[in-house]
Amino acid sequence: MRIARILLAVALCAAPASANDPLDDLEDPADRLRVTKLDNGLTVLTLENHTTPVASFQVWVKAGSRDETRYTGIAHLFEHMMFKGTRRLGPEDFTRYIEGRGGRLNAYTSRDVTVYFEDVTGETLPLVIDLEAERMGHLDLTQELLDTEREVVLEERRMRTEDNPRGLAFEALLALSFRAHPYRRPVIGWRSDVEAVTVEACRRFYETYYSPNNLVVSVVGDFDTEDVLARIDRAFGPLPPAESIPRNPTREPEQKGERRDVVHFDVRAPIVTTAWHAPATGDPDGPALDVLSTILSSGRSSRLYRRLVNDEQVALSASGGYWELHDGGVFYGMVGVRPDADVERAEALFFEEIARMRDEPVSEAELEKAKRRIEVGLVNGMRTNHALANRIGGDWVSFGRVRPLSERLAEIRAVGAEDIQRVARKYLTEQQRSVVRVVPAPEEEPAS
Amino acid sequence: MAAFAALVALGCSGFGQRPAWEDPPPPPREGPVVPAGALHRSVLESGLQVLVLEDRSLPRVAMGLLMPRGAASLPPEQAGLTSYTTELMNRGAGERDALAFAQAVDALGGSVSAGSGWDTSVVSASGLSRDFDALSALAADVALRPRFEPGEAARLRSQRLASLERAKDDPRTLASWHLARLLFEGHAYGPPQDGTPESVAGFDAAAARRAHAGLFRPEGAIFYVTGDVDTQRAVERVQELFNGWIGDGAAPGVSAEALPPPPEGRRVVIVERPDLGQATILIGNHGISRTAPDRLQVQLLNLVVGGGGFSSRIMSRVREDEGLAYYAYSGFAMRRDGGMFLAATGTRVPEAGRAVGMLLDELERARSDPPSSEEIEHARSLAVGRFALGLETSDAILSALVDLEVYGLPRDSLDTYRSRMRALTEEEVRKAALDRLHPEHAAIVVVGPSQALRAQLEAFGPVEVVEP
Repeated sequence: MRIARILLAVALCAAPASANDPLDDLEDPADRLRVTKLDNGLTVLTLENHTTPVASFQVWVKAGSRDETRYTGIAHLFEHMMFKGTRRLGPEDFTRYIEGRGGRLNAYTSRDVTVYFEDVTGETLPLVIDLEAERMGHLDLTQELLDTEREVVLEERRMRTEDNPRGLAFEALLALSFRAHPYRRPVIGWRSDVEAVTVEACRRFYETYYSPNNLVVSVVGDFDTEDVLARIDRAFGPLPPAESIPRNPTREPEQKGERRDVVHFDVRAPIVTTAWHAPATGDPDGPALDVLSTILSSGRSSRLYRRLVNDEQVALSASGGYWELHDGGVFYGMVGVRPDADVERAEALFFEEIARMRDEPVSEAELEKAKRRIEVGLVNGMRTNHALANRIGGDWVSFGRVRPLSERLAEIRAVGAEDIQRVARKYLTEQQRSVVRVVPAPEEEPAS
Repeated sequence: MAAFAALVALGCSGFGQRPAWEDPPPPPREGPVVPAGALHRSVLESGLQVLVLEDRSLPRVAMGLLMPRGAASLPPEQAGLTSYTTELMNRGAGERDALAFAQAVDALGGSVSAGSGWDTSVVSASGLSRDFDALSALAADVALRPRFEPGEAARLRSQRLASLERAKDDPRTLASWHLARLLFEGHAYGPPQDGTPESVAGFDAAAARRAHAGLFRPEGAIFYVTGDVDTQRAVERVQELFNGWIGDGAAPGVSAEALPPPPEGRRVVIVERPDLGQATILIGNHGISRTAPDRLQVQLLNLVVGGGGFSSRIMSRVREDEGLAYYAYSGFAMRRDGGMFLAATGTRVPEAGRAVGMLLDELERARSDPPSSEEIEHARSLAVGRFALGLETSDAILSALVDLEVYGLPRDSLDTYRSRMRALTEEEVRKAALDRLHPEHAAIVVVGPSQALRAQLEAFGPVEVVEP
């Protein structure tokens, strides 16, 4: 933490002074973070917060769909299997025990990580710790359970992607924008791969990536740190570490021209999506891209809303945002075209607004407004234990430290109009973009 | 780190202890949801009630002006007018036109927004606490001085028509529209809250102005504030902004017309979407109102049947045993004049008939094979735990307190919830199943390709195929 503090001091000096800003005096709960490393490599982040009698427990697994080899979708399918029983727990016992105490639990898989979480009352934490350690160390995988869960995942895929215009657009967009890197695959996997995943492949994935030295546990809420650490050590301590965690070496080559794709689907409201390659998590250009996306699409006075939704009335929604990923991010655009509007025109107007970002500096008023919105968002993000656990877990996995609130405020405050124009010119180029439209299939010519 | 080495040693000696799931659960902690004296409550001369709950943990504030009148206070021919009106209120108020208003809100980094539900309309605002005066002034402008400019009204009408058309791209929206139509035809609950193309086509600034006058008046209104704000200052601010706001003494609520009788026998509707690979299924019957005396029994019953996540019967059978679906649940939507029970799932088209049969079977089984003592205890524990999690933030606590006011429920309901839940008998829960689940009169809606669905669904009742 000492290094972080020094960096912070430098950043604060560089930031413009804003007199009497109450956010400058705001206590960052993460300042009280305690970091513990077990002998087997497990990192434990604990943060006591006694304002309410609840706690959030999260296990961050440093494995996502980018780590898959033979079968796409295995990271996600495997996440489902983690609820299916262990040497001492029957299928769904895990869930039943937590729900029986009124707890909220779930898990999600992304391209970079898989996260398991339980939000519970404080007195339920010992149960959560023992259950999580049990499934992280002693999962029981059977062919029968895998076959049933495979069907569940295929239904999830139908709902989120195959029958869903936005899901179809997004799947096609990432597959187009990334040509080599595993980010091109859908997290839920291609259908044929999900249909083919074997128990043996699941077991290998578990043994490779679900090792304590590849996990970060983040706990925030109403508990006694010493008690919780002792319990975690007792439950997780015996799990053996992996000797090494393999990573996919592929890097995305530079894109040398615009790419386009079309998906035909029975939609009333077509969709136009765009992706540009953007820097990876933690890049110094990140804050400028965050401010840029806020100016584009946050609030009713944002540029895309005013132009596409309000003034020209070609869209029902329009947004652009910077999406950080560990191996290289994406700046995406999404236009929900009105059923009565012309897709070409909606797309052209969207790109005009992107071009304005490159061609003209944003006004001081827009800049200040966007920064304020991001600042308020940071404050709102501290309201629940779940959000705090999410922040410290996510930061730790990405940066190996938790970025102090003051550092993040300083980074955002330091962004100038020239920075926004610079990153727009650097990343949001025609050469670097991929465009996918979801539109109805053209009507077939009647047979003569 | 040295301290932790000691822990490791301790941990080793403790290894082999029983896992926590073999121990009985510790008793949940008790205590009032809101400590005595923390909540301020007063009533202005106009009848406007003011609730303030200080929370100094973060430099933010949230507030709202809520009317106990919503979409259900207008007849079905005007479906969508409440939601159209509250949205139009956001598009220019006081001295500011739509753009100037949006810029003023966005400059604070906060939000100020009017919206509505079946029973309420609300102008809510949130942001940094130092902007309390500015945010509350903007909220008051929206509530009391919306501009209703004809140009904005026409633009919104056109957007609403386009949105209704786009909504047909979403199978779950389509299913919910058609289920409500089957259950509440002729009543305000029948059409969607955003209206129908026919009703929306007639909306304009004058209609919105009239609707606003009926909805936004002080009778029954509540102004609530929570966050980093001094209670006294908050009350003074409400007085500054709303002292001149005087109603004509009309009754606070607007009663909707009586609900139509529940449908006799089963009806099956297929909403035609030939392109879909997954059939979206909704099964429903008339439910209960928010103030029904057996609402707690019904809540417990529903946790057993389909509202309790993976431990509920529907999820366990449809997803865990059969692998038919990703989601499967049931719920009671409770409103002022009544409500709806529904069970929902989505499965591959060739299995749709089997999934519908399973849901109906589970509803029937809730009556014939009523929840066991073990199931009821599990649900009780789930309800009490969820209750605590649901009140983690002061915003959530205040919102729950306001909800009690809207429906005229006892003000100590949050503090008595746990004991009331514990006092429910198994017999009461079983009776709720007999009284409130009616699979024999269910309305069944399935969205998907009729060609593949019709034959599978004919066993459940007369089938009608409709266009989206």
